[in-house]
Amino acid sequence: MATTEAAAVVRARPTFWRNFWTNAILSPRTTLGFMRIDFVLGTIFVIPLMQILFFALTVQLGNGGASGIAFVAVGNAVATVTYPSIFSVCQTTDSEKEQGTMEHLLVSPAPRFPMYVGRGLIPILISLATVTVGLVYAVLFFGVQIAAGSIPFLAVSVILSAFAMVGFGLLLGGIALYLRSSIVLGNIFLFIGLIVSGVNFSVSALPLPVQLIGYVFPLTWGLAAVRASISGDSLATVGPLWLIIVLTGAVAVGLAMGLWRNFERRAFSTGSIVRF
Amino acid sequence: MNVPATPLTISRFRSTAASVRLSVLQFVADPQWLIPSMIAPIIFGIVAYQLVLGSGPYFVVYAILGAGMMSMWGQTLYGSGWATGQDRVFGTLEPTLQAPTPYVYVVLGRILWNVVSGLVGGAIVYVVVVAESGQIPAVVNPLLFVVLFLFVMVTLASVGVILSAFYVYTRFAGFIQNIGEFAFYVGTGCMFPVIFLPWWTNPVSLVFPPTWALDALRYGSIPGYQGFAWGFGWDLVGAVATMTVYLVLAGLVFHRVERHVLEVGTLGDY
Repeated sequence: MATTEAAAVVRARPTFWRNFWTNAILSPRTTLGFMRIDFVLGTIFVIPLMQILFFALTVQLGNGGASGIAFVAVGNAVATVTYPSIFSVCQTTDSEKEQGTMEHLLVSPAPRFPMYVGRGLIPILISLATVTVGLVYAVLFFGVQIAAGSIPFLAVSVILSAFAMVGFGLLLGGIALYLRSSIVLGNIFLFIGLIVSGVNFSVSALPLPVQLIGYVFPLTWGLAAVRASISGDSLATVGPLWLIIVLTGAVAVGLAMGLWRNFERRAFSTGSIVRF
Repeated sequence: MNVPATPLTISRFRSTAASVRLSVLQFVADPQWLIPSMIAPIIFGIVAYQLVLGSGPYFVVYAILGAGMMSMWGQTLYGSGWATGQDRVFGTLEPTLQAPTPYVYVVLGRILWNVVSGLVGGAIVYVVVVAESGQIPAVVNPLLFVVLFLFVMVTLASVGVILSAFYVYTRFAGFIQNIGEFAFYVGTGCMFPVIFLPWWTNPVSLVFPPTWALDALRYGSIPGYQGFAWGFGWDLVGAVATMTVYLVLAGLVFHRVERHVLEVGTLGDY
């Protein structure tokens, strides 16, 4: 009898993939509920154009020339990945708290890794779409030239960057579990990349301490890989950048899981985690 | 002839004062307002300064003006929209609109605080950009610059008033806030002259009072500035005219919105 009950419990526990897909599919209606279709379409089609235009015209004001405009066009096309990846993923924690589902989540036996990573699936897809549309704008309107031969490398760079950035968003979401609100955190990292990640000017132009901060972010490496791909660099140049992107993304997800475990333990001991 | 303060006037004044007080308390209690009013503008100011670096002494003014305006605009857009949206979420929008004091007096309090915090944000941006550039920006007429900067803030506030009226109706305040942010920065030319944009977009830009006011401000403070061909004077006229239209429209919209939402009873839906 006891064996049968134990077997039933084992059967009842959701599998890794079921948990992953359930969270991936349901998150747009739950924790990512704020990402309505108008919001998503605006993120994909409006924000990249406006952000690139803003900085391109600022470069024009400073007589930066066509090369300067192309530089910020590529940089901001890739930087728009932060909206769906960091900002949205980071806010899932706030959504749990506001919707009153955080307590249920914390007492659930569901494995955490597929649950959190599953939530990142839709943002990854939106990130890919946003960067792709941004790069198309860069080519159509801002004089960026992308050779057909460089598209495979470019695609890999964009895909890896999207994954790594969502991993970074999960890390911020983990930190946000302990905070009253994640919006400040998400917004700081939404904008700070504009300075430290080589979006509008080269990272090497920054003071050394700021450069070091920049190298922590996956965006910095993702952008370097995208620029190298567009320049037609070889695998010997782009490959190591891809490895670093994967590494930064994996470290971010690992840290996120560690933070969630730690803060969950604190939540059980203090009972104050869902306050907002 | 002195107009005696009627109980109605006092009641409205108290509502506005209470709204200012609540806005201040919310600003202090919820640090997310630091993002649009200070963090984002400072970052944009630094980036803009780097992008125009070495172009001349007057280009620092562009960075300061643009980022300062962003600070105020962020407060206007987020402050006005968020407050109404949050009222709806918390369930306080219906009782507020049912109260005898017109909603516009509540919004006025929020706008007043937005102006003040936007100015504070602008001052912080000024300090940061000046510290980064290591030079006080070259301005032809500092007094005129300050007066016109305040005028730009007032024109932004007029946009905030009409947005607040619109936010009562719409459930898309978040969309307008997040997606419309950069579009507004670009459309009003907060960091660069609007004439940089394609000519066919100019009519859209000119719908917004800050476009006119910013152009006037640059004409008044940057020698050799190339803005709209009609120049400083007509910029001021355009800013005042569009702002007046905004305020009249806002008054009408508020009146109509209040009546409509009370009739249909869908105010609290979101």
